Order: sequence, then structure tokens, then C-alpha cells
Amino acid sequence: MAKISIIEGEFEKSLSLQLTESIRAGFPSPAEDYLHESLDFNRDLIRNPQATFYGRVEGNSMIEAGINDGDIAVIDRAAEPQDGDIVVCYINNEFTIKYLDLTHRAEGYIELRPANKDFKPIRINADDDFEVWGVVVWTIKNWKRY
Amino acid sequence: MYGIVDCDNCYVSCERVFRPDLVGKPVVVLSNNDGCVVARSNEAKALGITAGIPYYQLAEKFPDQKIAVFSSNYELYGELTGRVVEIIKKEAPAYFRYSIDECFVKLNGIADLKPWGENLSKTIKQSVGIPVSIGIAPNKTLAKIASRFAKKYRGYRHCCVIDNEEKRRKALSLTGIEDIWGIGRRYTSRIVSSGIKTALDLAKMPESWVRSTFNNIVMLRTWRELNGDDCVPDEQMAAKKSICTSRSFNGMISDISQLRTHIDNYAARCAEKLRMQKTVATILGVFLNTNPFREDLPQYYNFLETRLITPSNSTITIVKTANALLEQLYRPGYRYKKAGVIVMGIAPDSPIQQDLFDTDAEMIAKMRRLDTVVDRINKVNGTETIVLCSQQYPSQNGTGKAEIFANAIKHDFKSANPTTRWSDIIRLK
Repeated sequence: MAKISIIEGEFEKSLSLQLTESIRAGFPSPAEDYLHESLDFNRDLIRNPQATFYGRVEGNSMIEAGINDGDIAVIDRAAEPQDGDIVVCYINNEFTIKYLDLTHRAEGYIELRPANKDFKPIRINADDDFEVWGVVVWTIKNWKRY
Repeated sequence: MYGIVDCDNCYVSCERVFRPDLVGKPVVVLSNNDGCVVARSNEAKALGITAGIPYYQLAEKFPDQKIAVFSSNYELYGELTGRVVEIIKKEAPAYFRYSIDECFVKLNGIADLKPWGENLSKTIKQSVGIPVSIGIAPNKTLAKIASRFAKKYRGYRHCCVIDNEEKRRKALSLTGIEDIWGIGRRYTSRIVSSGIKTALDLAKMPESWVRSTFNNIVMLRTWRELNGDDCVPDEQMAAKKSICTSRSFNGMISDISQLRTHIDNYAARCAEKLRMQKTVATILGVFLNTNPFREDLPQYYNFLETRLITPSNSTITIVKTANALLEQLYRPGYRYKKAGVIVMGIAPDSPIQQDLFDTDAEMIAKMRRLDTVVDRINKVNGTETIVLCSQQYPSQNGTGKAEIFANAIKHDFKSANPTTRWSDIIRLK
């Protein structure tokens, strides 16, 4: 699949392009041939902007995966969920974040596994009405408040 | 070939994105002020809930049903349908957004239309979570008819293509006059009363009959398109020719200062919409109505319009002008039920035709900068973070002006805004 690098709307504003500077100065800048777009998280980390949603982690069920209470998860609905992915599912009227375990698929069930010994895996049988809502592609932690 | 991509029960589908448990259950969305039902899930339609039924009648008429009820949350619907349009933009050679939940596309150069449509519908469903139906045909009128079939019958897998004479005849024979795009209620009853029942019957009438009966170019185009021609101009699907913001009030209003707050909010919304589509308006109108259902009360309806000296999209200019019109319109002693602001004569934002008598270019530039800054703040921090003082409603406890428009209207069952506000993003347990 082609990598999508054009971000629409609000995202565009965060790109800083410095292409006109050297033209106005009159002198050719030695850096001119090396100009490159600045790094941009929205552009570089988010593959499918239209399929990307954010969620805030509550509780400690994924603590051993390094996901803590208060972290922000970046969720891609277009990504195909695979065994071992961290996914978001809607179960019992709430969204839950867990590892997706497909190893028992042949036996007729799959599991949503927490990363914390105090929590039990959630078993989903083949005939249960179940859907992966999205795949977690990044988590963001805040270390210092401004 | 043309296509129309239409979000199924749009507002309901948007609510279900963050409430997957409501898939397969009756769901309705209410109008502004929670007045009446404006959107229904298929399950709600199957219960017999009709469009436009007042909210208070729901519990009376369907006492034993569990119906999920939402106040309208346009912030959410706008954001999610914006995502749908972005996906369409990537997949189609050309597109025109027609309404919040419909988008026309031109499909020149795409060979296998049916798989293209099925695939687009799948991509949108997976990426955004909203089901869409796609109708494809040689013109817009037939594409609209095709989309009805895509919506109605699962076998089409969300995409119906009318691409030969046999399919066209079959589809038209199964389509009622009231379901033809571009034929309003008045014309429908006129056509039906002349004994014409289906779209096929209408298409078979001679052109001379259409000309002499209606003497209307729009009607003639519709008739031609039913017969396979492509003649509805593209502009008809592009940017809107006028923008209207209006509301029925929660209760009735006699006091001009209360009316003014409403009018100022409608005017500010019009200005914002103009700036969003990078246009300016030349004409501004305001209307004011009493309640036609209260025959026991004195009735008053009026509409006044004025030309803006310099075409504008500035909040301050448009609010001021609307206010002046309201002063002229207002008659004391009536109880008003509805008011609205309409902007017309919409043109591209630049270059604006400068009027000889309105030479304060510096002021115009200043207003423009102000609007840009305010739009930016409201975009980042949520709508109505900054409003004009005159847009604020008195606070609930009566101390001064505090409430913004969004809080002054009734919306008891409003969902969160997980795609536009950090405070509302979904919680992951």
C-alpha cells in the first residue's frame, strides 16, 4: 500500500516550508539544494488520517506493556488487526485496550489479553458478535506539564 | 458516469461509531432544541417511527420500546462526514459535496464500476465506521435512483450500477414520483394526479407534454435524465448558492433583545460558513415568523433583505447588518416562533469588488485579520470559545450574560465529541 504523506486541513498548517527565504535574499543559499520538509508527526506517524482516532487509557490493565493510566493511544481503524497487536474493542458497553491473541482461532475462540497479572484474559467465542474497533499504532506519554 | 455516495441514516450512523452496541437497535436523533425526530435507524423506521414526529410523542406512541435517543451533535457529524469526503476525494477523479451526507463523484476513466463502488464502501466503513450506499449511472438523477436500490437491498453490497437500458427501465418502474431527485412535493402531486405513478411512466411521456405542463427548465432536465441524457449542470451539485441559518425557538419570544441574541448567533454562523468555503456574500436577509399552528394568536411574517456595500464574510459586518434589519422587521405585540438569517449572492473571497463609497480598506483588512484569529482559536479550542458579546445569552441564574449559543439551545441527550475535543476522546479500560 502506498504511504500517504499528504495531511489535509489542520495538519497542513504544522508543516514549515522554508522555500522562499533564499530567493528574496538575492544570494543563492548554499543550503538551497538540501532543503527538505521538516519532520512532522502528523504526516510521518499517521498513515491513515481519516481512520485515526485517539483514546485515553484508564486503569492499569496494560501496565506491563508500558501503557499507563492517562496515556493517549493513537488508534488506526484501517490497519488490519494481527496476532499480537494491541487493539481497541467495545465490550460490555465500554472500550477496552488489550493484546489480540489469535493463537486459539483453530479451537474456536480468540482472546483479548491484558498485560497485568491481576487481570484475566477475555475469551471471545467464534459465534460471539465481536469486532476489533481499531489497532493501537502509537501511545503518547506526557512527562512534563507546561 | 456519475456516482452518488450517501451515508446511510447519517446522524444515526455517526452516533453508532462510538456506540457500537447500538448497531441493530432502534436509534433516533432529534432536531435542534430536541424538538422532533430528524434521523432514524432502520430499526426505528421498522417500528413505525415517522420522520418529524415530535419528541414528546415518542414515549406516548411507543411506550414499550427501548429507543436510543440523541440530541443532534453537528460537531461530531461534520467531523466524521468530513473524513468520508476525504476518502472519496482520494478514490474518485472528481467530486462535489452536495450535502452533509451526500457527495457526487465523476467516474470517468474507471473501468470496473461495481467493484470500485463496493471497495469504496468497504474502505469508508472500515476507516470511519460509517456505512455508505453508492449509486452509479450515466447521469445524476439516475445515480440518485440507483443509490436508493443500493440502500434498500443488501444483495447490491452497498453499490448499485445502472449501466444499460434494461436496468434503467427496471429501476424506473420500481421508483415512485416522490422518490425522484429534483421533483418537489408540489410537482409530485401534480404528476400523480394526472395518473402517472412511476418514474418510468413519467419518462415515457412526450417532451411536449413536459414542456406544456410545467414550463420549467429544471423539470425538463429531470425528464431528460430519466431518459438517459446527462444535462443537470455540475454547479447544481457544487457550492451552495445561499446559506441560511434559522431555528425554531424553544417556546415563543416577544422581546426584541432576546430575538437579537438569536439573530446575532445565526448571522455569526453564516459569516463563519462563508469563511469556511472561502466566499463572501453580497446580499443579506433576515426573516421573522410567529407560530402558524397557533391560530388563536395574531400572526406576523416578514422578510427583509439588503445589499452589503462591500461583499463580506466578516462576523462583525454581517451581525451588524442583520441587527439593523431586525430593528426594521420587528413589531411589538407578537409572539415569535422562528427567525433566520440568509446570505445570498455568494462569490469567491478574492478579489472582492470594492465599492467606491466604502473605501475603508484598512478597516476591512483589520476585520479580516480579526476573523482569521477568532476562527483559528475556535477551531483549536472548540466552537464558540470566542463570540461577540451580543451573541451571549443571559445565564441560567439571570446574572449577566454568560451562555453561548450551543448551551442556550436544548440538547439533553447530546453525545460527546471524541474527534474534536481532547476532553472527550474515548476512554480505554
